[in-house]
Amino acid sequence: MVLADLGRKINSAFTELTKAPVIDEKVLDSLVREICAALLASDVNVMLVQKLRANIKKNVNLEELANGANKKRMIEKAVMDELYNLVDPQVEPYKPVKRRANIFMMVGLQGAGKTTTCTKIASFYQRKGWKVALVCADTFRAGAFDQLKQNATKAKIPYYGSYSETDPVAIALEGVEKFKADKFEIIIVDTSGRHKQEVELFEEMKQISAAVKPDTTIFVMDGTIGQAAESQAMAFKEAADFGSIIMTKMDGHAKGGGAISAVAATHSPIIFIGTGEHLQDMERFEPRSFIRKVLGMHDMRDMIEQ
Amino acid sequence: LFSYFKSFTGQREMTAETLDPVMMTIKEHLITQNVATDIAEHLCQSVRTSLMGKKLGSFERISTAVRNSMETALKRILTPKTSLDILRDIEQAKSEKRPYTMCFIGVNGVGKSTNLSKVCFWLLQNNYKILIAACDTFRSGAVEQLRVHARNLRALQTSGSGIVELFERGYGKDSAGIAKDAINYAAVNQFDVVLVDTAGRMQDNEPLMRALSKLVSVNQPDKIIFVGEALVGNEAVDQLTKFNQALKDFSGLQNPRHIDGMILTKFDTIDDKVGAALSMTYITGQPIYFVGTGQTYTDLKNLKVSHVVHSLLKK
Ligand SMILES: Nc1nc2c(ncn2[C@@H]2O[C@H](COP(=O)(O)OP(=O)(O)OP(=O)(O)O)[C@@H](O)[C@H]2O)c(=O)[nH]1
Ligand SMILES: Nc1nc2c(ncn2[C@@H]2O[C@H](COP(=O)(O)OP(=O)(O)OP(=O)(O)O)[C@@H](O)[C@H]2O)c(=O)[nH]1
Ligand SMILES: [Mg+2]
Ligand SMILES: [Mg+2]
Repeated sequence: MVLADLGRKINSAFTELTKAPVIDEKVLDSLVREICAALLASDVNVMLVQKLRANIKKNVNLEELANGANKKRMIEKAVMDELYNLVDPQVEPYKPVKRRANIFMMVGLQGAGKTTTCTKIASFYQRKGWKVALVCADTFRAGAFDQLKQNATKAKIPYYGSYSETDPVAIALEGVEKFKADKFEIIIVDTSGRHKQEVELFEEMKQISAAVKPDTTIFVMDGTIGQAAESQAMAFKEAADFGSIIMTKMDGHAKGGGAISAVAATHSPIIFIGTGEHLQDMERFEPRSFIRKVLGMHDMRDMIEQ
Repeated sequence: LFSYFKSFTGQREMTAETLDPVMMTIKEHLITQNVATDIAEHLCQSVRTSLMGKKLGSFERISTAVRNSMETALKRILTPKTSLDILRDIEQAKSEKRPYTMCFIGVNGVGKSTNLSKVCFWLLQNNYKILIAACDTFRSGAVEQLRVHARNLRALQTSGSGIVELFERGYGKDSAGIAKDAINYAAVNQFDVVLVDTAGRMQDNEPLMRALSKLVSVNQPDKIIFVGEALVGNEAVDQLTKFNQALKDFSGLQNPRHIDGMILTKFDTIDDKVGAALSMTYITGQPIYFVGTGQTYTDLKNLKVSHVVHSLLKK
């Protein structure tokens, strides 16, 4: 499961806390150290972890708390609050509106899973009764249009693209205009992979965005990304002002901490996670229930909310 | 006065007390540079052990001693222990009158097909006759992607005797069988090299890992190249461990194969966070043959060990 290792480690740190006869600075320090080590092993950004460490220490005042049970609850609450803050930016993601065109634009690093995710989202909304179409504005990657076309065909979703046009801005605009005219409600624009170090690629992304005027831009991020996550995410946020994040490749073993760092850095929520290569392999993401799930669930929540 | 004097005469012994804070800082720094935490931990432990009880030299600072020792350790891990001369190996296969086969494996989207094409470009410049085997029969557009690359590469081939051809059998077929047919075709038609593209797969996906292991054991490629991206964090450890494990466990052979080396891609996207290079070499003990530094055919370079060590240690 997603972040399972992290959950296990944090839970065992809490168990240690429960076993400790007296809770003093030393016990607190060791708990915080364990949790921070677990976060680092899950690819959470080092600076974020340092901040989290400082916040927990700041918010737990052991001297003010006389009895042991109180101390434990206080510490657990401080930890949970910090974890919630990490994944929950408290920003509402864009909600598409019926009977008008809602333009989604997908952006992200090379190979993150944009094209695959496009069809997954399209299919998600189509199943819910929306009129959905796909536009391939990736004129760079070899086989990009074939990839989108084959996926769209399998999912029975109308698509637009070109083998000859080399200008992604022109293609994006043509496709969006065409589907708008045909009264499509959700039009998803797939773009090429890019990275912050290539200024021209970022410029191109801004131009596509200026042309199609997306209602929402979605940043697709690979769940296995490490410490480079934050700076890339920040750069995309600045250039494309994305509204939400989709974290991919969370099937298997990925820890997702890199993508989570992107949430904290850009104050944008994760809305879906990709859990496989097939059309249906996508789950909705809800930050708070996610953290509870990670931490071994109900008993933990009961402990904290009583 | 005495203690002041002593601390500068090089008689100080390094102890847990003096070493640990320095090790802590250096470990966190390695993690910031994207080294997997377990590996940063192991590395620091071994450096600590090697320094413990040693005397500091005159005017030497403890941080300098740790740094030097760490630098030596990093160099040792990153420096290839085997020859990286693929061209020589190809010549060897040629003299045996058989095509030389390289198989590109790895998780999804890391750059297998693109960097296979870059390797092809490099081999074309060396005047080889190359067959690309399209053995990703799953991902949409995978075959067309290689078709475009083969066409581009042919168009770039204006001089020299290099030749590239694509061997494809469409989608949904058994990739091990296609690779076999491709290698036979290459042998009959006197190709020098076969580059086998495979589908990306998650290291935990048992059916897909079994299929990969079968492809490898049936076709016995000369080189199994794991393609990993420099962006990957702690997951690098699990990926490499499990790919190697699967090649071994699912092979059904006495002498199973393992990863022979890596291509580290997207090196242009990570600034100085080069830790994945260390994680990957540490886990496999195998060399990084190339680094991918961009999306065009010429963006394939050799790893500069000194550059990586420098980036890992710089403040
Ligand atoms: N296992 C798994 N694979 C995924 C997931 N999402 C995407 N992939 C795979 O990741 C690889 C890259 O996906 P793409 O959709 O081509 O990525 P992209 O961001 O469009 O790539 P570029 O256009 O080249 O930047 C493909 O092999 C996909 O099948 C996921 O959630 N799980
Ligand atoms: N910036 C950068 N991008 C790269 C590099 N190598 C590959 N890419 C890009 O990464 C994306 C994925 O590359 P592919 O070659 O399709 O990856 P793959 O591993 O074959 O993907 P699957 O077959 O779907 O698993 C493409 O957009 C490539 O252009 C590199 O060295 N640097
Ligand atoms: Mg794409
Ligand atoms: Mg591929």
